[in-house]
Amino acid sequence: MFAALFQSSLIRLIPVGMILLAIQRTVFADIKVSGVVVQVVLAFVAAAGASGGSERGAVVGFVLGSMYDMVEGTPLGSTAIAFTVAGIVAGLLALIAADPQWWLKAIFVGLGCAAGEAMLPVVRLFIGEEHPWPANMPKVIFIVAVSGAIMSPILLPLSRWCLKIRKSEWTAPAEQSPV
Amino acid sequence: MPIYTVGRRRVIIALLLSGALLLTLDLRGNAVLDTIRDGFSRAMTPVEQAADVVTSPVRRAWNSYDNYDDLERENLALRDEIDRQRGTQAAAEASIIDYQLLLALNNLPSLSSIDSAKAQVVGGATNNIDQTVEINKGTDDGIDVGMPVVNQAGLIGKITNANARSSTVMLVTDPRYSIPVEILAGTADLELEDPSNTTPSGRTDDENDDLVEQSEAEQAAEEAAAEAAEAEQAAAEETPPGTSPEDIFADEVDLPQAGDPNDPANSTTTTLPEGPPETDADGNPILEPFTTDADGNPIDVPETTTTTTSTLPPDPEQLEKEFGVLQGRGQGRPPQVRFLQDIPSLAELQVGDLIETAGGSESLAPPNIPVGRVINRADRAGVGGPLLEIELNADLDKLNFVRVVLFQPLTEVDEPEVAE
Repeated sequence: MFAALFQSSLIRLIPVGMILLAIQRTVFADIKVSGVVVQVVLAFVAAAGASGGSERGAVVGFVLGSMYDMVEGTPLGSTAIAFTVAGIVAGLLALIAADPQWWLKAIFVGLGCAAGEAMLPVVRLFIGEEHPWPANMPKVIFIVAVSGAIMSPILLPLSRWCLKIRKSEWTAPAEQSPV
Repeated sequence: MPIYTVGRRRVIIALLLSGALLLTLDLRGNAVLDTIRDGFSRAMTPVEQAADVVTSPVRRAWNSYDNYDDLERENLALRDEIDRQRGTQAAAEASIIDYQLLLALNNLPSLSSIDSAKAQVVGGATNNIDQTVEINKGTDDGIDVGMPVVNQAGLIGKITNANARSSTVMLVTDPRYSIPVEILAGTADLELEDPSNTTPSGRTDDENDDLVEQSEAEQAAEEAAAEAAEAEQAAAEETPPGTSPEDIFADEVDLPQAGDPNDPANSTTTTLPEGPPETDADGNPILEPFTTDADGNPIDVPETTTTTTSTLPPDPEQLEKEFGVLQGRGQGRPPQVRFLQDIPSLAELQVGDLIETAGGSESLAPPNIPVGRVINRADRAGVGGPLLEIELNADLDKLNFVRVVLFQPLTEVDEPEVAE
């Protein structure tokens, strides 16, 4: 089922994911905004959801989240589940408008990021970690969401390219001749 | 077309269940997953190195913009800190040498006898939950999972993931981190005050002025009362014992034995008189503590107040140890020490007490690695015992070079194979 839908997309998705992961682990691990780590991989997942729908967003979230877990040494699947939720949320939000403006998509990406970031400690709590919540959780979620929205103009076209999504082409309905 | 079909829902549910399955397998330990993880980490290494090189100008530009003011403030604070610590360094080094000698004499293990590997921090946590850093040394350098990581200030964390050329260090503040520690009750008095508003003696400028005035008044009274006696004594002996400059300075360096450097009882104050030497009835000068030049002529020395402060280790008989478990609590929260018995007859825990690793056959760290100081104590009802919040010695936000102690607990050391 997955292979039929996304076999060709994964060829682009995995290298792009590796590059984003490397950027996350080098640049954004060092550059913090008010002490908060900006999540570029999570923003890409949300962008994929916003541009390709909840289904594609979920797959991208699962793949990149698993890669994230493998590199970071976190329990395999914990970040994958949170990122999957981020892709689903961004994809579902994108359904409210047929052809949303760029700023509306940025908001969808930001909200998807917020959902994913909020899910991370929830998953950790389910696997038995104590105190998984950062002391400044609202600030963390806010900054991650805003930074994701700011990065969305770059990440949305990138995610469309990865998933081979063409920009929607709307045509006016043919005029019907009066009976 | 329906926007949320059964097929789409199946995909999403399948992905979430796959995530849960992976999570279960990984938490229970799975060799296949570990192999995949290790292989992917190796594949990521060149990509990360390339990204590191390409993006280093961006990071430097950001750091120069973001950290300049902090660095300037820190630089000033560090200068003060160096001035403050320079005086106590010699005594501390001597104590450490004595300590190592005693351990060696008694065949006891010490931290200095354990090999270590120096490493550099090359990356921080990439999310906002985990408190981890990455270092540039791995299993090729003898590093293994579980080994403690320290820097000059004390304990930092432990290795949780070791690849061939890199390792992940879980910091002490991570909620998953815990380690047995000992609290040295009675060391709170050794805590030094902020030097910004104090003098080297630990007193403020106003307090020093008061002490000088008080000393002057007392000296004037003593001089008036002792003037006659001194004249008689000087007539009897040309050089009275105990009043030579050497004697005075010998008294001055009679240092206090232990305790708080801010405690006036631990400071020695010597006041030297001002003005020319007094003469006896015959007109001969009485040898008072004044300084002469090379020709023997007295030098006019203004009144000098010298305060000498020394911080020495407390009396070992006054030190009591309490054992507990230190646990991280995540970003922005100080770690806590739990499972304390808090029996007043054994040890009275208070703010400022030192925390060290306790060691033990199953502990992942050897004993006596400094960890931090108690900054808060919360008493709990029942048998829970008190909770201690601690301030770490190491600044985990600014880690650069660290040292991995190549230590394994006795329970995990492989026994040597016996040749048949």
